[in-house]
Amino acid sequence: MMDHIVFWLFALLSALGLAGYFFQVVAVRSKLTRNKKTARSSQDEELLLLSPVSVIKPLKGLDDNLFDNLSSFCTQEYPGYEIIFSLQDANDPAYKVAQKVKDRNPECDITVLVEHCSAGLNPKVNNLMPACGRAKYEQILISDSNVMVGNDYLKETARHMRDPRVGLVTNIIRGIRARSLGSLLENLHLNSFIIGSVCFLDHYLHMPCVIGKSMLMRKRDLEAIGGFSAVKDVLAEDYVIGKLMHEQGKKVVLSDYTINNINEFWSLGKFMNRHTRWGKLRWQIGGMKYFSELIGNTVFMASMPLFFTGFSTLTAALAFGVSGVKILGDMYLGRKTLSGMNTLAYLLAPLKDLIIGCIWFVPILSNTVVWRGNRYLIGKDSRLSPCPENGIWSWRYRFTDVLKTRIAWSMK
Amino acid sequence: MLLCDFHIHTTYSDGSVELRKVIDLYGQAGFDVIAITDHVVNGDNAMGKLAHRFKYSVTVDNFDSYISHVKEEAKRAQDKYDMLVIPGIEITKNHLTSDNSAHMLIIDVQEFIPACISYEEIFLEARKQNALTIACHPHYMSAKSDRDTLFLWNNRDKYARYIDAWEIANRDDVFNVISLKKYPYLANSDFHKPRHLYSWKTLLNCRKDTEVIKRCIKHNRGVAITLFRHEEA
Repeated sequence: MMDHIVFWLFALLSALGLAGYFFQVVAVRSKLTRNKKTARSSQDEELLLLSPVSVIKPLKGLDDNLFDNLSSFCTQEYPGYEIIFSLQDANDPAYKVAQKVKDRNPECDITVLVEHCSAGLNPKVNNLMPACGRAKYEQILISDSNVMVGNDYLKETARHMRDPRVGLVTNIIRGIRARSLGSLLENLHLNSFIIGSVCFLDHYLHMPCVIGKSMLMRKRDLEAIGGFSAVKDVLAEDYVIGKLMHEQGKKVVLSDYTINNINEFWSLGKFMNRHTRWGKLRWQIGGMKYFSELIGNTVFMASMPLFFTGFSTLTAALAFGVSGVKILGDMYLGRKTLSGMNTLAYLLAPLKDLIIGCIWFVPILSNTVVWRGNRYLIGKDSRLSPCPENGIWSWRYRFTDVLKTRIAWSMK
Repeated sequence: MLLCDFHIHTTYSDGSVELRKVIDLYGQAGFDVIAITDHVVNGDNAMGKLAHRFKYSVTVDNFDSYISHVKEEAKRAQDKYDMLVIPGIEITKNHLTSDNSAHMLIIDVQEFIPACISYEEIFLEARKQNALTIACHPHYMSAKSDRDTLFLWNNRDKYARYIDAWEIANRDDVFNVISLKKYPYLANSDFHKPRHLYSWKTLLNCRKDTEVIKRCIKHNRGVAITLFRHEEA
């Protein structure tokens, strides 16, 4: 009897998850169809109306495909722009690559800026602060080093800024070129859960969901929300910037232009580390809404009866049936986003969802992250604070902090 | 300073990444000079025969296509990344015991050199081709395995004069005996997999030209080593 109840409970949750997934697919489809409809207008007169842009690329270490990623910004069909490659240290291996890209593109206005800044705990923001001060133009575009774009990226992104009500433009991303297991799982996740969630929030809930890999804004709008100083100690600086812009009454636009995130040789460990960190971030930002992610993980939910009640025709049918639907859905999204992924790779989608399902529990048990060798405590809205490293007191500190936060939230 | 790696394998032998992708990996990471050095394995014993059977060796039959492919990719690397690619091979004399095994790089090789001829003949042939000879991982490695190749080190009194440089570091290992003997040195990754990109490397203070680079290694002035580490972006 108990087994029956467990089975039908998880079957119901799986159905709920599938319904949510269906709406995500519809949202992605709608976004990408609009992408086709809003003609890629390349009229010269439209180009003339676009304001110049300072593209800021914060660099740290070597990303897959770094040379081509950076080079793709040097061939933009755009009337006026500069590129600032910003680094904290001239000994960073990315410095050599940035210099090579600059030497190879003498016609492009490129600055390789090396300036150490330790204003906050978020190293990306520390890297952005000096570059923003050097930016020539009113519009700044923050672009991560692991993205590669087409020649019309700047034009298609910047055209939204002609509307003065728009404060920030961000883009959807697709993961491409996986050559290792970790990269395959990462790209599957980007091309299903991440793109699905972002489009879902944008399409149905009109919630600003900013992706830090591409953020275009005006300096004056950024200053109005407190500049980069306002986010120097938060882990999810992109989300907080979007939220503050929204609160200032500025529109946050999710552009229908898709940018490429190149993930070629990721290890499984790197994939798990990233999603544990992102999970902690979403738990701190979303609170109880974080639970919807677990229900949304329909493969994980459908596999639970196998775990709790053992193998039977019914439990196996549920797990494999849902996995099959998820594989087909991910395949559709992959085709829609032009991710170019091998058809057989989609068979890994259920495995990826099971791993993500297990990772989901980690943020509830721990609110510390190790970032670039330093351990931090993450607080509300992903605010960072240093965490004591040594001794038993560090563990007590972490444990009680998690408890206090949870109790405070549940009292609200 | 030129960032260099002179010990790289591709799918022409036992590497897991094909030549074009290897060139892109190093080019995208900002390297200045690399040498492609696939194995040429001795086929005169069971281990060697096995390597030949599984195509883990460049052979006399595919040597020309190997070299022309490397040269073709070298041109692309020069145009796209401003990176110099030098063709080479790794003469691989594998035997049952570490004491009898030896690996050596022949950098800027022009013609095929079989691995089953004597050491003297190999050194003379390399010299005739104006190629550099480098002793690979000449001492005990940290991960105790059958990869140890000690023959050249054990017979250094006899062969050191023929060897242009010794690997003082290979991937994660450092061989301080090379330093103690004051032999000419360089450091390489012994690249087989993408993760091997992050390992010991050589820095050269000279012009980016094959002959100048060979001279720089031989004279061993302006040579430094660096541990090229992965920093998460």
